Amino acid sequence: MFFAAFDLPSAPASAGISWPDVALSFFAIVLEGAPFLLLGAIISGLVDVFLPAGMIKDWLPRSKTQGVFAAIGAGLIFPLCECGAMPIVQRLIRKGVPPAVATTYMLAAPGLNPLAMFSTFLAFRNQDPWLMVVLRFGFSFLVLLFLGFWLVRLRPDYMLRAETVMGSARAKPEMTPNPGLVLTPRPGQSLGGLQQFTGSVIRDFTGVLLFLVIGAAAAALFSTGFNRSLLAPVGQNLILGPLAGILLAQLLCLCSTTDAFIIAAFAPFSIPAKIAFLVAGPLIDLKLYWLYRSAFQARFVHALWLRALAATFLLTLLYSLKP
Amino acid sequence: MDRIARQISFFAPAAVMSAWGTVMLRTIATGHINRLLSPMFRNYVLTAALLLFVLSALYVLLYQPDSETAPAPAPTGRLRQFGRWLVLLVPLVAASILSPSALSSTTLTNRSSTAGVAPMPSWNAASQKNAQAALDADPNQPVPVEVTDLITLSRSPDQMKAFEGRKVRTVGLLVNQPENAPKLVRWIMWCCAADAQPASVELGGNVSGNWKEDQWLEVVGAAQFPSTLGHVAPRIEVESIKPTQEPDEPYLSP
Repeated sequence: MFFAAFDLPSAPASAGISWPDVALSFFAIVLEGAPFLLLGAIISGLVDVFLPAGMIKDWLPRSKTQGVFAAIGAGLIFPLCECGAMPIVQRLIRKGVPPAVATTYMLAAPGLNPLAMFSTFLAFRNQDPWLMVVLRFGFSFLVLLFLGFWLVRLRPDYMLRAETVMGSARAKPEMTPNPGLVLTPRPGQSLGGLQQFTGSVIRDFTGVLLFLVIGAAAAALFSTGFNRSLLAPVGQNLILGPLAGILLAQLLCLCSTTDAFIIAAFAPFSIPAKIAFLVAGPLIDLKLYWLYRSAFQARFVHALWLRALAATFLLTLLYSLKP
Repeated sequence: MDRIARQISFFAPAAVMSAWGTVMLRTIATGHINRLLSPMFRNYVLTAALLLFVLSALYVLLYQPDSETAPAPAPTGRLRQFGRWLVLLVPLVAASILSPSALSSTTLTNRSSTAGVAPMPSWNAASQKNAQAALDADPNQPVPVEVTDLITLSRSPDQMKAFEGRKVRTVGLLVNQPENAPKLVRWIMWCCAADAQPASVELGGNVSGNWKEDQWLEVVGAAQFPSTLGHVAPRIEVESIKPTQEPDEPYLSP
């Protein structure tokens, strides 16, 4: 079996890259993501103005363990796309939500939400849909539990960028997204709430948009230029199949409500390879890496990346090797 | 000099947000958005563009340039911030100008799951309805079908048998791949062009002509469903072929 697992047929050569197509894909990704990012910034602004920090703390469970389960549960109930989540999660952290809880929610919402499960069922309607839904949900849940219990052991200053650290955004503008943006209110304005809301939305939107642009560029480059047939020869391989699924998810950077349709049509991949693709992609990929960098320190994002992918690989490998 | 820098710093956020709004509106007005996003996302872009203009106006009304008595930021900090605004502005404007009308055959090769094309998911209810309508149409007239309808028909042995040899009219992009028959391709889009997948039929018979790669063509011919090693790939035996305009919706929806 071991030798069979490494018996690799030859792969076709890459077709090269079309730079105009990269521009088209990049433009499509930013146009699709920007409205959701703006929506996230608006919700973040409303939270800033109308939701006192004490109220959020009262809602949260006292124990960290319960907080992780609550965050995963919230991810199940409140569908939130990856782009829209970033400003909201940063705002919640600044409002006093423990970073581990907010981060677990950020990781859970795209992959576990009902829309992602429904799209998985539809995409695999002729390929054992319930098995795919159960495996995607179950493996995602287990990986999120593993990540959540790792996150609660971390210090906030290890996880967060200086500008995301808890504190008053208005008192310390240098500790906010887009730190170079100086907002000086006009004197004599009686629209304090509107002013605060506008400042919050602009700061959050432009702050995270920068990382969306960088992430979209990486996603466009690989989703357009990477020849998917290169992974086809290992897609059925017991060990390399799940790795190929994870790698493809990192390069294609698809939304969690779309990814199932793409991978369902990818005949060369085995079920474990497809599940690895569906579990790993919503947790982190090349685009999300840059979006996460808008709030978190690079060393933390690297550690998160490694753990998320390793846990996904181990689970799908166990499934792949089952008798 | 410092005063000018303060003014530029102040107006930059409004200018960048307005530029994004303008690019979004222009993309909608020119119809280029049809080549980028599926219909469900287009209204979101319009709403976002309008909101960005409102935010820009509110920003200018509610905020003011940093006072001259305030300490000036370090030149490196100001340069870095200026660089951030440029990163937000330049790639977007460049992509809006440089993005082509359709994905090329190079990307088609990269996005195909095998040496050929990705199969159309058989969950497509609309395509199954179209396929049935094609079966019920007048057999003496060319039936207007999409590439995906032929692929859907090829998944059902009964429908395939009933449709074999029927004259069809279909539209798509011409792709010539070395060592393969020419193909007529349509892209299927789920959310945006970045996730678009190609679907194609082979062209046989008289396909001669001075056709360019990735050119939109209208083909009339007989539908065939040859099988190789159990895999059925739809094919059109071409009777006539002519250039045509890009459809209003260049992508097919799943």
